[in-house]
Amino acid sequence: MTSQAVLYRRTVRNIAIAVAAVVLLVWTVFPFVWILLTSFKSPGDIISVPPTFTFTPTIDNYAALVIGERGGQYSSTRPDFPRFFLNSMIISIGAVALSVVAGIPAAYALARFTFPMKGAFGFVLMSFRFVPFIAFVIPLYVLYQQFGLYNTHAGLIFAYQLITLPFTIWMLRSFFMEIPLEIQEAAKIDGASWLGVLTRVILPLSMPGISVTVILGFMFSWNAFNYPLMLAGRQTFPVTVGAIQFISYEQVLWGQMAAATIVAALPQLVLSLMVQKYIVRGLTMGAVK
Amino acid sequence: MVYPFGLGLYYSFTSYWLQYPNRFRFVWFDNYVDLIGEPLFARALEFTLGFTLVAVVVQVGLGLAVALFLHARIPGRGAIRALMLLPLMMPPVITALMWKIMMASTNAGILNYLLSFLGVDPINWFGSTQGAIVSVLIIDTWGNLPFVALVLLGGLQALPTEPYEAARVDGAGPADILRYVTLPLLSPFIVLAVLFRTMDSLRIFDVIYATTLGGPNEATTNLQIMAYQYSFQWYQMGKGMAQAIVLLLLVVIVSYLLMRLWNRAAESTS
Repeated sequence: MTSQAVLYRRTVRNIAIAVAAVVLLVWTVFPFVWILLTSFKSPGDIISVPPTFTFTPTIDNYAALVIGERGGQYSSTRPDFPRFFLNSMIISIGAVALSVVAGIPAAYALARFTFPMKGAFGFVLMSFRFVPFIAFVIPLYVLYQQFGLYNTHAGLIFAYQLITLPFTIWMLRSFFMEIPLEIQEAAKIDGASWLGVLTRVILPLSMPGISVTVILGFMFSWNAFNYPLMLAGRQTFPVTVGAIQFISYEQVLWGQMAAATIVAALPQLVLSLMVQKYIVRGLTMGAVK
Repeated sequence: MVYPFGLGLYYSFTSYWLQYPNRFRFVWFDNYVDLIGEPLFARALEFTLGFTLVAVVVQVGLGLAVALFLHARIPGRGAIRALMLLPLMMPPVITALMWKIMMASTNAGILNYLLSFLGVDPINWFGSTQGAIVSVLIIDTWGNLPFVALVLLGGLQALPTEPYEAARVDGAGPADILRYVTLPLLSPFIVLAVLFRTMDSLRIFDVIYATTLGGPNEATTNLQIMAYQYSFQWYQMGKGMAQAIVLLLLVVIVSYLLMRLWNRAAESTS
């Protein structure tokens, strides 16, 4: 092969790689860019033909979100987005807090003790990841109506345990198992009970792991849509259910919906960059020096 | 969690209809038998299985290509990898709404506008049966391709180097190395990606609910959407629960088979 042919082949290869990288990048990022642009458009610019990349930006869509139900002449039709955001915060934080409190002993037991049916217990927890939500939400809906948990934060926090609790136990178990047994045995020789080992040795050493678990659990709760769709009402909708309220029979408020998707996605975008660092730290550093 | 599920199982054997509580009777397997004669059930089952098959093949195939691409030392791969986390961690329903805005069927829809440069006529994304199926597939793929790609990329980076050196000494070309070294060694990760994507595709709900609601003409109604409609639009909790149980059985059987495959793949490579 002549040197010219080699050079030619290398150039073609580099161009192909560059094209593939650009395609991948555009495919991943363009939807975000377009929705961000749409969220700053006035209704006229949104339906312009052809779609426009240049327009006079307006913050009306975000202003409408912030105002929510208070004020404005459309108060009866306008989704109350600040409340939805607050609901998402309350439910997600509550769900994660409950899961961590309930999950630490269970994860510790799975990681460090043997007990009857341990394998089956672990498998059932794992399988919750795959369960169709509708099989749980129908009976929960009936029960919630009877016991007054329908359309309450507490009811949703409990229902979210189907998402967060198995995840929390499984994640914490893996982090607990990374802590060397020798450290635990040393604490036991010093006279610590199993509770002492858990609170003074295991928990402090697995703080990075617990942080990662908490953040990821929060993100999964934030993403939840189908449980609140059935079990919440207008007072307790999280942002995921709130965002589809911009679609009504009369019209779709495209601009406000775009702004709502940006706001609903914002915590996820920030947290996923945070967890990216934490995952690496949590998995590589751990407790083992 | 066990009690609600047991209660639901019990409902599936009853004629529970929320608006007519006095019609509540224990009907044994009537709800399940009724499903056999219900044309919508056959179509929903077909769509559930067909969508899962296509989605898994497309997403794992493309995901493998992306993983191999990012595994090669290309410039900017760190940035691409970080950006790919964003679709992955988005709420699926928000992803669906973003695409719904872009997939407006009118000429104001950005996707139709961009496709017009490639000579594609405006597509009626959510209005036609084929368009709706393709739309759901595209949206689901955007959100989940990064999952497959990052799982497989993690697998690629954990592979041992010795088999590659041995293959190179034997004079194997890049295609042979991919076929006889990389893919067999990567198989546990591929099966893991298939397992998770299959389970999620069988019960996809958020994206369909936010875009097509099972339509048009029930073209995108899967078992989960059908069970939702029976139980939360018509309040026939007994029938809806029977459909949910059928879906659950399907998920259990498929997950059992795939987990066995995973164990076998993990054993053969270790």
